[in-house]
Formats: sequence, C-alpha cells, structure tokens
Amino acid sequence: MSDRVSLTTDRPGRAATPKPPAPVRSRRLTDRRLAVAFIAPALLLLLGMSVFPLLWALYLSFTDYSATRGGPANFVGFGNYTAILTSAQVHLRAVTTLVYVVGAVTLQTVLGFTIAYLISRRTRGRGLLTTLFLVPMMLSPVVVGLFWRFMLDAQFGVVNSMLGSLGLGQVEWLTRQRTALISLIVVDTWQWTPFIMLIALAGLTAVPKYLYEAASIDRASEWFRFRTITLPLVWPLLLIAVLFRAIEAFRLFDLVYILTSGGPGVSTETLSFHVYKVAFLGFNTGTASAYGILMVLVVIVLTQLYLRYLNKLKED
Amino acid sequence: MRHPQRIGRLTAALLLMATTVAACGGDKDDDPTASAPKAPATIPELTTDPLTLSFIWFEWPPAQALEAFANKEYKKVRPNATIKVNTVPNANWHDAMFTQFAARKTDFDVAILDSQHIGEAVTNGNILDLTDFVKNNIDVNAYNPYLLAAYGQFPQAETGQRDENASLYGLPLLGDTWTMIYRKDLIGDKPPQTWDEMISAAEKCQADNPGVSGLAFHQANGSDAAAVTYNTVNGVYGGNLWDAPNRKIEGVLNDAAGQEAMEVLVNRMKPLTAKGSGNWFIDEVNAAVAQGKACIAFNWIAASGGLLDPKQSTLGTTREQILGKLGFATLPKQKTDLVPLGGMGMHVSAYSPAANQAEALNFMKWFEQADIQKKWAAAGGVPSRTDALASPEFLDAGPFNKVYADSVPRMRDMWNVPEYARLVDIENTNVNAALNGAKSPKAALDDIAKQQQDVLDSSGRKGGGGL
Amino acid sequence: MRFSVRGRAVLEVALLSVLAVVMLFPVLWMIETSLKENRDVYAVPAKLFNFDVTLDHYRDVFVSSGLSVAFLNSVIVAGASTVLATVLGVPAAWAYSRFAVKAKKDQLFFILSTRFMPPVVVVIPIFLMYRYIGLIDSALGLILIYTAFNVPFTIWMMKGFVDEVPAEYEDAAMLDGYTRLQAFRKFTLPLLVPGIAATAVFALIFSWNEFVFAIFLTSSDEVRTAPPAIAGLIGGTTVDWGLVAASSVVFALPVLIFAYLVRKHLVAGVTLGAVRR
Repeated sequence: MSDRVSLTTDRPGRAATPKPPAPVRSRRLTDRRLAVAFIAPALLLLLGMSVFPLLWALYLSFTDYSATRGGPANFVGFGNYTAILTSAQVHLRAVTTLVYVVGAVTLQTVLGFTIAYLISRRTRGRGLLTTLFLVPMMLSPVVVGLFWRFMLDAQFGVVNSMLGSLGLGQVEWLTRQRTALISLIVVDTWQWTPFIMLIALAGLTAVPKYLYEAASIDRASEWFRFRTITLPLVWPLLLIAVLFRAIEAFRLFDLVYILTSGGPGVSTETLSFHVYKVAFLGFNTGTASAYGILMVLVVIVLTQLYLRYLNKLKED
Repeated sequence: MRHPQRIGRLTAALLLMATTVAACGGDKDDDPTASAPKAPATIPELTTDPLTLSFIWFEWPPAQALEAFANKEYKKVRPNATIKVNTVPNANWHDAMFTQFAARKTDFDVAILDSQHIGEAVTNGNILDLTDFVKNNIDVNAYNPYLLAAYGQFPQAETGQRDENASLYGLPLLGDTWTMIYRKDLIGDKPPQTWDEMISAAEKCQADNPGVSGLAFHQANGSDAAAVTYNTVNGVYGGNLWDAPNRKIEGVLNDAAGQEAMEVLVNRMKPLTAKGSGNWFIDEVNAAVAQGKACIAFNWIAASGGLLDPKQSTLGTTREQILGKLGFATLPKQKTDLVPLGGMGMHVSAYSPAANQAEALNFMKWFEQADIQKKWAAAGGVPSRTDALASPEFLDAGPFNKVYADSVPRMRDMWNVPEYARLVDIENTNVNAALNGAKSPKAALDDIAKQQQDVLDSSGRKGGGGL
Repeated sequence: MRFSVRGRAVLEVALLSVLAVVMLFPVLWMIETSLKENRDVYAVPAKLFNFDVTLDHYRDVFVSSGLSVAFLNSVIVAGASTVLATVLGVPAAWAYSRFAVKAKKDQLFFILSTRFMPPVVVVIPIFLMYRYIGLIDSALGLILIYTAFNVPFTIWMMKGFVDEVPAEYEDAAMLDGYTRLQAFRKFTLPLLVPGIAATAVFALIFSWNEFVFAIFLTSSDEVRTAPPAIAGLIGGTTVDWGLVAASSVVFALPVLIFAYLVRKHLVAGVTLGAVRR
C-alpha cells in the first residue's frame, strides 16, 4: 500500500501530490476516514485509561493530597520527589528490587536457555516437552504464590520434608532475611524460566541447518559451533526476552504480597510493594504518585531499550 | 479527537482537565469541615420495602455466625430486612474499607471497624456520630465503660475508662482478647500464673516432648500480628505504648520496661517457638495446636472455636477428648495484669442511603438488648453487656468464654489515631524483623519509636509523607 | 576427548528429565494435595504416593466455599474485557497495517508502552478516577481497566496477523466495486479469524489471572473475581490447603486448556505480539 493517508489535515487531496484519478481520490478520503474511525476508539480508550490517569498522578505528585483525608491539594513543588530520592527507606527497597531483578532474570535466562538448547537437540517429543515446561508460566501469580508458600512452609512443607529425607536440616525459607529473598527469586524463576525457554527455542529452531552442516564439514568443535553460530543467531532474541522479563520483574507486586508480604521485617519489600504501602496504608496519595512516576520513568527507560532492540531485530 | 497525532496538544488539555477535576473535587467532596455527620437521636421511620443491610468484615467464622444469627433473629422483628456480611481477606480488611470510604461511596451500610480504625474514620468523616442516638436508645450503664469506649469513643479513652463527654461513633459487636491455650496433658491442669512461670513451663515441656515446641504465637508482619504480640508483652512487663496527651512515643515505648519486654519476647520466648514460625498468624497458630505441636499457645478467643472441632484436630476424636488435653486460661501476669483488647464494633457508613442508615441504627438498638446479647452469646458471639457476659448462655457456650469474662477489666488497646495504619505497620515489620533475626531487639525497638514518632510529628511537613 | 554421541545423548536426556521433574513437581504436588484428606496434607514426612484419594475439596470449591460466585465473576469480567479489546483492537490493527498513518511507529510504540506501566502505580490514579465516576467495586470498572491493558496487546498481536494477509486481496476486491470497508469485512476478516481467536485467548488469560487491580478496585463478594477470592482462603482462622489446592487446580484448568489450543502462537502471545516466529 503506497497511498499515504494524511491525518494532519482535512484539506482534500493535497495539492502538491501528483493528481490521482478521481475515483481513487474519493477512495482515499474514505480510507482516511476509515483509518481514523478504526484507530481513534482504541487510542481514546488508552488516553482515558492510561495517559489521563498518569497525567493526573503527575499533577498529584507535586501536591500533598490524600485520598481519604480530603481537603484541598496543597502544592509542595518537588517536595515529594526530593523526599523519596533521599529516603533511606526507599534506597533499601531499591537495593532489594535490584537484587531480585538481577538474580531472578539471570537465573531464569541461564536455566531457560539450557532447557531450550536441550529440547532443540531432541527430535522426538519436542512439542509435548515444550507444552509441559510451559505450565508454570500460565498459572496466576496468586496460585503460584499461595502454593509455594505451602511448599516452603518450614514445618509442613514438602521441600523441607524432602530435605529431611536426605538427612538435611530444616530451612526457614520464608522467614530469614537471605532465604526469603532467595525464595522469592526461586519462585519467580520457576514461573518464568519457561518464558525464556520459549523464546530461546524459537531462536534456536530458526538457526538454518546448513550452517551446522557446513561447520561439521570443517570439523569445528562443539563449543566453537555454539559460540560462532548458535549464540550470535539466538542472542538478539534472547536479549529481548531478558529485557521483557526485567520490566516485568521490576513491576512485580503480587508474588511478594502473597509469598512473604515483604517480610521478614521489610527485607523482601520491593519498590512496588512499598508504593502500595505508601498509597493504601497512610493514603499519602501525593507521595505515592511521585513514587509511582519515578517508577514509571525507570520502566520507560527499560521499555525504550526493549523497543530499540526490537526495532533493530525487525530491521535485520 | 479525530487527530491521534496531536498528542502534544491533547496532553496539555488532559493535564488541564486533570487539574480542574482534582481541584473541583477538592471543593465538592472533600470539605475538611465535614467531619463525622451526626446520626439522628431517634430512629427515623423504617421502610416496609425489602431491604438488604450490608456489613463488611474479614473472612473468619464470626462473620458467618453473625450473618446466620442476624438473619434468623432480626428477621423476627423486621421480616423485610436481609442481613449480608461481606468478607474480605484479613490482610486486605483495612484497605478494603478505607478505599471505599475514600471513594465516598460504600457497598456496605455497617463497617465493622477494628477499635484502632475509629480515629482514621472519624477524622475523615466516614462514619456517623452516634452520641445522641446512644443517649436516647442505649442503656450505657449495662456495659463495662471501657468496652463501650474502646469500640466507639473518639478521641481515645484512657485505658480502663470512658470519657462521658466524648463522642461515640460505634457500639460493641464482638468482644475479644487473647487466651492462653495450654496442653493439660503435657504441663498439668493448672495454668502458669506468671509470665516467668509460663516461659519455664514451655521450656520444660519442649525439652520433655521432642517434636513439640514450647510456644506458638503471632509473629507475622501483616495485619496487626507481630505488633499485638509485642504490645501484650510490653503491657505485662509494665511498659507503655505512648504518652497519649503529649503524643510522645520516642523515649516512652523504648524505655527500660519496653526494652525488657522486647528482650523477653526475642531472647526468651522466640527460641521456644517452632522453626520457621516467623510468619505465623491466627491460622498457623491454630494449626500447630490442632496438630499437637505446641505446649502453650496464644490466640484470639474469637478465632479459637475451630480448635475443638475433631475434624481439624489430631488431639482427639470428640470435643470432650480434645478438651481433656487443651486448657484455656487468662494470660499470665508479671508486673501488670494487662491483656490486649481485641474485637470490633459496628459503625454506620456516612455514605449509605438514609433508609439503610435508619435500618442500621435499628439493628444496633435491637442487637444491644439484654436478651439478644445472650442469644448472640449462645450463637457463638462474644457479647459486651455485663449481664450477658455473666449469663450461663455465654459462659457455657465455650471453654474460653470464662477467660474473656475474666479478662474484661484487664484490657488495654493500641493507639486509636488517624495514623494507626502506619504506626501498626512500622511496629509489625520491626518486631517481625527482630523475631527473625533481621534486627537486634534494641535496634528494632528504637527504630519503632523513632519512626512512629516521625509519623505523629509529620503533619506539618512539606511532601514525602508516608515514606 | 569427545564423549561418544550416544553417551552425550543419554546425558542430555537425563538432564532434561531432571529439569522437567523439578519444573513440574509443584504442579503435581498441587494436584496431589487437592486430592488428599486434610490429615495427610499436613503429614510429616510428606506423603508422595500412599494417601487416600478424596474429592471432598473439589466439592467444597463449588458448594460450600462461595467460590462459585467468584468464578462466575471471573468469567464475566475476563470475557467482556476480551470481547471489548478485540472489538477495539482488531480494526485498529488493520488500519495500522493497511494505511500509512503518520508517525505510525511512534504511535505503535506509545501504545505498547502503556502496557508496561506498573499496575500498582496505575491503580492509584485509576482509583481516584473511578471514585469520581462511581466505578469502584464494579464489574464495569474491572472490565474497562483490563480492556485498556489488553488493547495494546491486541493491536500488536493482530497487526502481525494482518500483515501476513496480502493487501492485494482487498485491492482486487475494490476493483470489483467493493468499498474498502466491504473488502475488509468480506475478504480479510475471514482470513484473520484464527489470529483473532489466538489473540483473544491471550487477552482472556491475562484478565483471568489478574490480581492487583482486582484486589484494590473491588471489595464485595458480588463483584470479586477468583484470584482475590482464592487469596482470601488463607488468613482466616484455619487454612484448608486442600481447598486452596483444589480451587487453584479448578482455576488453572481453563487457562491450561486455552494455552494448549493456541500453542502455535505462544511466542507472539507472551511477548505482547512483539516477537513473532
């Protein structure tokens, strides 16, 4: 389709363009209307449900507004922002979030890629294996969180029961500072390794066979083949998967809410969980909005990276 | 809006809209002078049309008991009324009520608020002022004054008293306190009398019975779990949560008595609990008792009914067998005899339709009558009227009911201020951290005092509230 | 130095089996727990095989727990938001694919980025907005916000499917005298049906599993969807893990069936339509 539908102007048939035959011109007009009529409702919904609330939050982030206390919203300038950026409490949560995001995404990338690689080398049962591996990813975080909480219970949990049968001692999975964060990472990894696996598998199966055949004629070593053929071809796709997971992990809330509710103490409180507490325990809506806007900025940076790589990938 | 690409201009327009809406909203709905509206002194004429009176509570057996009881008994006087008790997860209870209050629209007519929520609800004008209604309709002399004050009065009463000049915003629905649950077959029929005795009995029991831990109590960082545990020990060891008239916590909570209480909790009691019990709340403590894994446990009385259910217990196949092993007693004393005040009151939503508010008032008047209170006791509820508490209907309904009746004069509540939700979160997370080795007892207590003081003092600060 | 090819294959299969067992064990354990009597649920050491099978927990899910209302609500909310997102998203995807809309790339990226907002952050202004228009604790409120999260996905996913249908079909139809709209309806749309089905299934899965908006924007039994209702099963006075497991299985089953039906489009589906292979 080369007919360019201009949405900038309503002037019929831009004078500068070469004159099209009359019936086509009328068709163009319809095309333009059609495009607007088809796109506008979706965009309007997004403007109303995403952009408008976000702008509202932006406005509130400069005030001391509280959703329950009522009263007028007093302008406090950048007060909320400086308070958040200098708060030791927030720094603590930022570190926790960073450890969690890096730990979980790294672990699931390594595992997910390994599984994908192993599956891609099988010829039989590939479809069934893939489907089975994907189950955790399809479950609701509520189900995942609740059930892992049961399995990791120090007294009745099946994990400690198995460790016991192996002669190992009980581990307090959810109630010690280190193990609680590790548990969170493990559960997230369990749920999302399939995601990386799925995408890595898509990349691996797309590697043209002839490249390997050429390499085997050269009697190249396994590792050499992997490094020079497989990895470079799968890498861009894997990077997309990693970025996607990083964004999702950064937004994580439900798993923390159910698995540890931030404990012990506040050692598994992520930024998302902290925003929730500011917003709904004290109803400090202004502060929570500023906090949220700052988080959105981080997500936007990550999303930009994601989209840039995606673009590159599509152009190649 | 036909030009999706004019995002810049649109943005500006939307921003303007947002500002206007927020500003207008501020004028229209959020008038700061409109604190708690008054309920009429006499009950207005009731409707004869079918009407559903909705309550909001959290998910636990008393909620179902209330719905069943009210539909059976209240229908006898008001056949056109149906009672519906909506329940939310305990962890979400405060949020669920106050987000609706914030919306200035509630799907419930009667909020069952925790006593400490009253300050927040009154200050924001979310519930009706019942002072005049109570004067005309309720026999206040029938109650222990502190019970009436705890579930209704704001500003908060002094422990054990009621200020008759203060306003009332609610009436008692369900009384509650902690009971000590002990294994008669393991530590003997006679319950420990002091906190020291209790700890040594637990120590001995744990040593004598491998696989059974000495103690089980609330340690979780959600709701008010770990906070109530510390507050209880704090009270027993002669500490104070705050100096209410001067709004001082720093230096009060973490004084010598407060420190000792934290030491006792973390260094003497915690080592006697099961491994990994650091996130236990009501249900986990119940499970430990029912599985025969705890010598002595502490739990809310209203949540203890399930312990006598043979289907959920390994302690016996009949209620009698279980009762042969489980004893229920008032909390041991040490420097004081204080016990935590639990339970909840009924509070009328300011945003409920007039007909429903009238019905709610009528329900409350009906509910607080002597014979209805006794029936409520027989149905598994915990009444508040003194005559009902002394009645055989109540005392015979459960082995722990006498514990409640004996505990009434010993009760102490937490802070009932608008900042409650944040205060309790600070205490929960820090006590939980101390119990699980993430902080030293002293550091945790000092952090609680400092952070709570910050919350109380932060009203005049510009920006960053709530961090 | 090299392993024999055979030895290596055995090693790989073994490793894969171990990983499969580890990944699937929790699911298996969930199913087992849902079939156990309560005393076996808490048994230490855990009973892997020798337990009595009971269907009581499944009966409880539908009869005594009040979860059936929540499941019904989930069906309504997830279904309605999926239909809405499809109705809004498919035409937009077609328009983006067929017409040279100005700043198309920017628009598309803007659309996708709205999907990446942290829900906990979005819920604050949404909550304020809903309170002014009275959508707190209403099914419509949930449907709208889920639609808003599903529309970006639908547009991206569907644009890929539309791109695959040659535009020449429509051009040819128009030469035969059809209008553009008729050409779309009569020739392109039928070819898009499998793609629409796959896209709708993913939107359905998202709405079905969603928890954050559900817990903050609804509170009454009449409106509450299944995820918060299942979360509410713990935190009372006793935890019935058998019931939690049974309701989790019942809740997860439709999703797994749907996911199996659209297995061909999984890669596109889970990356919001951004990656297609």
